[in-house]
Amino acid sequence: MFSNFLAHIARLCSILGGLLMTGLMLMTCYSLISRNFFDTALIGDFELTGVGAGAAIALFMPLCQLKKENIIVDFFTSKCSSRVNEGLDRMGALLMAVIFALLSWRCGLAAINAKETLGASMLLGFPDWIVFTSMCIPFGITALIALMQALSSMDHLDEAAA
Amino acid sequence: MSPLQLALMIFGIMLLLMVVRMPIAGAMFLAGTTGFILQTGAQPFLNFLNNLAFARLANYDLSVIPMFILMGHFATQGGISKALFQFAAAVMGRFKGGLAMGAVLACGAFGAICGSSVATAATITGVALPEMKRHGYSGRLATGTLAAGGTLGILIPPSVPLVIYAILAEQNIAKLFAAAMMPGLIAMMGYMIAIAIYVRLVPGQAPDQEEREPLTLESLSGILPIACIFFIVFGGIYAGFFTPTEGAAVGAASTFLAALLKRELSWKKFLHCFHATALSSGMIFMIFMGADVMNAALARTQVPAQLAEMVVAMNFAPLLVVAGILLLYVVLGAVMDELSMLLLTIPIFFPIIMKLDFGMTPEYTAIWFGIMVLMTVGFGMLAPPVGLNVYVVNGMAKDVPLSESYKGVMPFLISDTIRTLLLLFFPGISLFLIKYLT
Repeated sequence: MFSNFLAHIARLCSILGGLLMTGLMLMTCYSLISRNFFDTALIGDFELTGVGAGAAIALFMPLCQLKKENIIVDFFTSKCSSRVNEGLDRMGALLMAVIFALLSWRCGLAAINAKETLGASMLLGFPDWIVFTSMCIPFGITALIALMQALSSMDHLDEAAA
Repeated sequence: MSPLQLALMIFGIMLLLMVVRMPIAGAMFLAGTTGFILQTGAQPFLNFLNNLAFARLANYDLSVIPMFILMGHFATQGGISKALFQFAAAVMGRFKGGLAMGAVLACGAFGAICGSSVATAATITGVALPEMKRHGYSGRLATGTLAAGGTLGILIPPSVPLVIYAILAEQNIAKLFAAAMMPGLIAMMGYMIAIAIYVRLVPGQAPDQEEREPLTLESLSGILPIACIFFIVFGGIYAGFFTPTEGAAVGAASTFLAALLKRELSWKKFLHCFHATALSSGMIFMIFMGADVMNAALARTQVPAQLAEMVVAMNFAPLLVVAGILLLYVVLGAVMDELSMLLLTIPIFFPIIMKLDFGMTPEYTAIWFGIMVLMTVGFGMLAPPVGLNVYVVNGMAKDVPLSESYKGVMPFLISDTIRTLLLLFFPGISLFLIKYLT
């Protein structure tokens, strides 16, 4: 049940990330048109593109993990039984869970830190803690998904998320 | 532990994890983590992690990658490929093996708005494979052609691997794109020549007589949207109207518009673009982070820097060093995916290349080496045992055995090899356009 919920969250994240990218796409076009035709520049649009893309890419991670899109080398284990391969894949998922948990934890800490020190972008003063938080949460979700993959077979959910 | 032992241990851990099916990105991450902590202790490593994701993901220069990927998927879902293939088939129809040549032409044209070789291969395969089968092409030639044609997605700009090289080597993306233009066109011609020779040498691969669609004004409209988008994006970049990232955003927007005008982009397909973009971008940026950790650990051992000095001190002929590196890429590419390979090795090899004298300015040397690297990436997408493009195309052709597809890519691998040698000995082929365009 919970894994089903996670699969839907992962899909939702990827759609949010996609909408964010589309938003950046439109903003850039608007900025270009106003810069080249009306001589009014949208200040700091590249800063927004950077942080927006950062959030979008972080939001792409859960689906990427859910669909096991991270490339593996199956050349050496192609002769092993499917049980061995499945066991290795669970092990791999567990390690990926550790990695994403680490990333989420450190981004969370960095967010708290940035909030205290009032870290912000140069031109717009866009607060850094928002950027860190926008990565901390999707990384946490990704860690949970990887953990579920390590503990139980989530293969049937691939279809649900397709 | 000596620095060299430590560096070898880091590589050893990575390889071991890779062998037991750990995702490559994760294998690099964990191997790097171990090496980092052994050298500095845990706290400096944790502090390094604080900024890792921010620095890599929230990065204006790198945002061009998901933007180009989104553009490619808008093009894939937007129904542009069918009309494009019809046009290409009509153009090439007069030749023996014309439909296969048409598929290559369609791949090349599609590559002009798509920066991924797998996406290009999959998109054109979707429209071209059924037609090639219907006309009596062998599964071997059809899948081989489409897998090879797919690499035009990265050989012809825009190109995701080239963007990654540009960022690693701190080079101008627009100039690298300009330098890739001629090699990309040569690749396309080379593939067509390979088909022409192959169908004459090996009988039964292509039909002797093909019914030919005439080239009409209507079929010409198949190429129109792509030509417009390519002109806007690259015209804009080279005329100085916008940066490559802005160009990618304009390209994505105009591809989106073209798909809307074709009335092909349903809500469902629109969401599919997001999912597909999520999968490829997530995969690429995870590799980025894994390679970052590994490279940070390796750099702290000082071994890459010492290696560079050692190679320079040995006074090999510069071309020999490049040839050696390219050969190593071909070998490495057999077990690793090409992006991880680039991210892991460019920080080590690039300083070596820049210390050698090729009789060119440092900038031209860097750009030329990037093009050479790109050629081996294309090669790696096709070469057994793991040619990603061959897998993708073969997966779409249900009744063709994988071994047949690998036989099918052989003529194209020969063509790749000839082209790579040509560019190795005549850097001017790729460099001359830069002078005119930028």
